[in-house]
Amino acid sequence: MNRLHPRVRLLWVARAVLTAAVLGGVAGGVQFAVAPPWLPGWTPAAVFAFLAVVGVVTSLLRYRVWRYEVREDSLYLERGVFTRVRTVVPFVRVQHVDTSRSPTERLVGLASTVVYTAGSRGADVSVPGLALEDADGLRERLKGLAIRSEGEDAV
Amino acid sequence: MVRSLSPLSVPYRVFQRGSGIAIALLFALGGGFDLPVVGAAGPFVVVGLGVVAATALVGYEVAYVSRFSYELTADTLDIDSGVLSRRSREIPLRRIQNVDISRNVIQRVLGIAVASFETAGGGETEAELRFVSFEEAKRLQRELGRLKRDEDATAEPDAAGAPAGPETTELFALDRGELALLGAFSIDLRVPGLLFVAVSTLGSTVVPQYLTGAGGVAVVGLGVAGVILLALASWVVGAAASIVEYYDFRLVRSGEELQYERGLLQRYDGSIPFDKIQTLTIRDNPLKRRFGYATLYIETAGYGGGDGRSRGSEAAIPLAERDRILDLVEELEPVGDVDFERPPKRARRRYLVRYLFVVGALAAGLYAAQALVSPSIPWWPPLVLAPLAVWYAHATWRHRGHWLGDQHVVTRNGVLRRETKIVPYYRIQTVIDSRNVFQRRLDLATVTVDTAGSLSLGGQDAAAVDITGERADELRTALDARLDQAVDAYRAGRAGIGLEADGTHAETSGPEEVDAGAVTEHVGAGSTERGGPTSPDSEPVADPEGADETDETESSGGNRSGTDETESPGDGQSGIEENG
Repeated sequence: MNRLHPRVRLLWVARAVLTAAVLGGVAGGVQFAVAPPWLPGWTPAAVFAFLAVVGVVTSLLRYRVWRYEVREDSLYLERGVFTRVRTVVPFVRVQHVDTSRSPTERLVGLASTVVYTAGSRGADVSVPGLALEDADGLRERLKGLAIRSEGEDAV
Repeated sequence: MVRSLSPLSVPYRVFQRGSGIAIALLFALGGGFDLPVVGAAGPFVVVGLGVVAATALVGYEVAYVSRFSYELTADTLDIDSGVLSRRSREIPLRRIQNVDISRNVIQRVLGIAVASFETAGGGETEAELRFVSFEEAKRLQRELGRLKRDEDATAEPDAAGAPAGPETTELFALDRGELALLGAFSIDLRVPGLLFVAVSTLGSTVVPQYLTGAGGVAVVGLGVAGVILLALASWVVGAAASIVEYYDFRLVRSGEELQYERGLLQRYDGSIPFDKIQTLTIRDNPLKRRFGYATLYIETAGYGGGDGRSRGSEAAIPLAERDRILDLVEELEPVGDVDFERPPKRARRRYLVRYLFVVGALAAGLYAAQALVSPSIPWWPPLVLAPLAVWYAHATWRHRGHWLGDQHVVTRNGVLRRETKIVPYYRIQTVIDSRNVFQRRLDLATVTVDTAGSLSLGGQDAAAVDITGERADELRTALDARLDQAVDAYRAGRAGIGLEADGTHAETSGPEEVDAGAVTEHVGAGSTERGGPTSPDSEPVADPEGADETDETESSGGNRSGTDETESPGDGQSGIEENG
């Protein structure tokens, strides 16, 4: 079982803090504009702190849970903090494989590998937080395996 | 041979596009308004403009029809179209999911039809021929089926040019009684919405005048009458709509295709190749279960035929007796006897807690209302629902189940809208095992089987809900392994999906070995017609666990007995048809 690149924690924590900051800002804006008398002045800070702590803890837990494995004939993923999801993607069903890098991912030098199937939840299967060369490697490996196990497609 | 559209499509297209313009013109003329620049000559200018527009329209449509050509070659459908910007398309025949023909009343009078070709990609119809003669559309549908078969079987094409067409057997026809029953049970829920919009726009000016003059009792009476009228209207509209839609519904098996026809005013006529069927869904509700009826949806990966409503489920059998549905299922997908495995008992406790929680929440809500709004509001009425919650929890548990067959995984969920999904192993795309916090506490899991069927876009995939964690682990590996075997078997010359060979349609009894496990050799009755590499057969794929090496269950109704609705809880025996 492979784990994600440890640096992905940085990415996820940063995202969580950013989200918390935005929502805290919204709370601050509401506080400033409406100023309901029953709302204590420290609410925005509390909102920010609460969301940030929750977000950071979930991010760290998420990293601890995330696993993936390239098996003999399928890709296996395990993830999810609250809902634990295990996905099996048989290589025969792989339509194509992408490597995608969002701006934030590029900033920390990571990439995601996205696996598409013809299923109705096709784009659900993506492996985030891989070092670029790992992502490309995974992509190539999946591609090779998918080609090798090519069959009549199911649709 | 390159063909073009029917010449009759010019007048129809002109009529279709021009009617709007004509109405606008009529309004302009009838209103007799003065154009500021031309003054009294206004009507003439309008008529002149109309003539110009009509000429342009006719010219465009003539050009469109004459510049539109299509050709059915041995392995592609080529379409060249466009007046100003040209577009050439080649659609590989084996990518075409189904061919639909639709024609409304006017088109039927003119003898023309719309032929649409669906592929799996994208959200819309791949190609449409507007319009060809009905005979031509039927010919295309037939030829396409034939060419695909030839391509698959690599047989030499028929020497005789005139396709005799494969023999057809009627699988299902909706009789009058069922149609009437379907109408009786159809309530169009859009009617209240539409009426509400109409009333809220018109009514706001009209109603208050009447209301001020009327007393309180009259208002209440009026309201009750309105609600009754509304219900009646929804019912009438719903009944009319479903009768119009499903009038004279027939499902015919023609070679390796399923063909359906339906409709009173607008007639639909489609074909679905067997090897494109993704899943079968049997849906029912307590009422239908009580009287032994059910609905069947046949899913392909293509976009739905006809209109957006029947998306991805071209051949839905709207209502039929359960036995007939099950016979048909057996014909399409020989599932055999289904013995559902229920979730463990602790799952039922979970449902009980869940529904009691809802009851509690309702009571708490009312209690809050009592405290905050008015002390006259009683908080206890939701508690009356508690026994109902107990019953519902039990029913939820009882109706839930999954089963692994030789070739299919079958799941069943839901009480008020119970769905039994039949997924051939060969159609599995991904297997997803998810466990949320509450499920983990009880060591339960939900295993979802994702397919390419387009009905599952609504998140209603086949799923074995609340099974034990251990079983979920087993299921995950088993499904993966069985998919592999199904793919191997498919490559070795048989599809994991398709028709049971019978006397008239013996397909193949190829001796290919499937790895591992015992394969019950299928004995095809009669001679083998085609030994083609992909002719559908239904030989059971070897069971990885070697669990049941039963003889192949044929589609005869012999082993199906308990179709009656028994509400006795906890009876162990179950088939698809089981309801207990």
